[in-house]
Amino acid sequence: MIDKTCLKVEIAGIKLKNPVMTASGTFGYGEEFSPFIDLDKLGAMVLKGITLKPKMGNPPPRIIETPSGMLNSIGLQNVGVERLIKEKLPYLQKFNTPVIINISGDTIEEYIELARRLGEVSKEMGVAGLEVNISCPNVKEGGMVWGTDVKATYKIINSIRKTTPLPLIVKLTPNVTDIKTIAQAAEEAGADALSLINTLVGMAIDIDSRKPKLANISGGLSGPAVKPVALWLVWQVFQTVNIPVIGIGGIIKVEDVLEFIIAGARGIEIGTANFVNTRVTIEIIEGIEKYLIENNIKDINELVGSMKI
Amino acid sequence: MNFIYNIKVKILSKEEVAPNIFLIKLSAPSVAQDALPGQFIHIKCSKDNYPLLRRPLSIHRIDKEKGEIFILFQAVGEGTKLLADRTIGDDLDITGPIGNGFNIYPESRKIMIVGGGIGVAPLLALCEESIRQGSEVRVLIGAQKKELVIGEENFRKLGVKVDVATDDGSYQYKGLVTDLLEGSIREGWLADQIFACGPKLKLKKVVEVSSKAHIDCQVSLEERMACGVGACLGCVCKIKTKDKKEDKVKYEFKRVCVDGPIFEGSEVVWDD
Repeated sequence: MIDKTCLKVEIAGIKLKNPVMTASGTFGYGEEFSPFIDLDKLGAMVLKGITLKPKMGNPPPRIIETPSGMLNSIGLQNVGVERLIKEKLPYLQKFNTPVIINISGDTIEEYIELARRLGEVSKEMGVAGLEVNISCPNVKEGGMVWGTDVKATYKIINSIRKTTPLPLIVKLTPNVTDIKTIAQAAEEAGADALSLINTLVGMAIDIDSRKPKLANISGGLSGPAVKPVALWLVWQVFQTVNIPVIGIGGIIKVEDVLEFIIAGARGIEIGTANFVNTRVTIEIIEGIEKYLIENNIKDINELVGSMKI
Repeated sequence: MNFIYNIKVKILSKEEVAPNIFLIKLSAPSVAQDALPGQFIHIKCSKDNYPLLRRPLSIHRIDKEKGEIFILFQAVGEGTKLLADRTIGDDLDITGPIGNGFNIYPESRKIMIVGGGIGVAPLLALCEESIRQGSEVRVLIGAQKKELVIGEENFRKLGVKVDVATDDGSYQYKGLVTDLLEGSIREGWLADQIFACGPKLKLKKVVEVSSKAHIDCQVSLEERMACGVGACLGCVCKIKTKDKKEDKVKYEFKRVCVDGPIFEGSEVVWDD
């Protein structure tokens, strides 16, 4: 048996200590989890989705638990890019973990301006890359409107590509007829990697009041309930594109991560599970290492897309 | 922000103090040491991941000497029912203490505490602390009926005056706990601060009564919660913020978990 294994992966030109990243919106701006884990041990941190101007978000109730999952309709509440740069990024400077900024906008111009501004401060503030959110189900404009249309996906990613040399990860929505065509469009437009899935649109009703349980009526479903869907879509996208795929959706234990990697994910993002277990990211990193050693796998990259059919 | 622990703590005792109302004592020295009245702990109710999310429960009593904390809760949903089924000696995965806690002003001489139903949960710790700070404390408890009057004895043991209102009149005053509050103000017992926890409509009324009497009022709010550490922005409530430049009222969504759960009553927007 081997006694050492390599967990390093490279995604979108970003070198990661291990494939474990945090999913946007579930990890705040990083500092919120510093009482519980050593942020230095993470593969990368993807921060809460940011917009050009601060956003108030949707009225409450914003979340509701569902079988093996939860619905959320936060509505991209965030401090805006300038406060992100001034108040949130400085804290992360002391860590040796790549910081990826998830960006959202109502218009192409807003995405472009965000990419430009973050590119401008990327060296000084340690911005390793951008995750472009074209898949938020909880805002009226922008968000998922882009990610459900092949031409719109190409147009927005291509425009951002022309603006910044920063690594671009495009976050895809599962709420489409054929995710492969969207994935291709993003790749052709210049994406360096794809991350999937964002949440599935759903709702819940209170039968006594007959009112929707979320003030926004619909929300995004996440948690273990969505994992099989995410895994299937990762596998399909992995077969379609030549850029790295990041698997997201319902990961709560190490076995889930291994499934995603075998299906073709080079990295993974952990989301809802952070709410359940504050140390889940670190426990999973340890679990991956143990699995690789026990199975005589010297390098995690050997496992990527190794599904036998 | 205070330091939040994520630790496993032992269940020392469990008691059903009223129908479906449970009191659990936990051995949690680090949390007890840091905890303030009004803070809560976020509890993983089951041993596995189903139900998925933790449940936020107020800290009912804090015993810093013994390193123990108490939680008092109603077993109503999937999570709290599982919690009520946990046995003495079990390890419980908790995060806490979380939140800002009640702000008792050092100059407050008279304090009124108002609890509705299971809303009394965070108020015993508050009552103990108020007495420790030398205040004269009165407690008003509201409940649907006699069997659901919670905590009356424990408050009395602290030597404070306790009045109870029941919706059906099966115990003491028949009517709303806010009637008792109005009555005490009419009689001239004017508190320096009013603290309240309970159903939203009751809190709204308490704030109205307090504001009419020009008494500072803090309320403990509840909202559906996911992370409990300020990251997900799921548990927000609508709070008035004064615009410094224009002096007009604006709103923002604040996190109940770490910006609250205690808010100035006058800041809370109740109507939507």
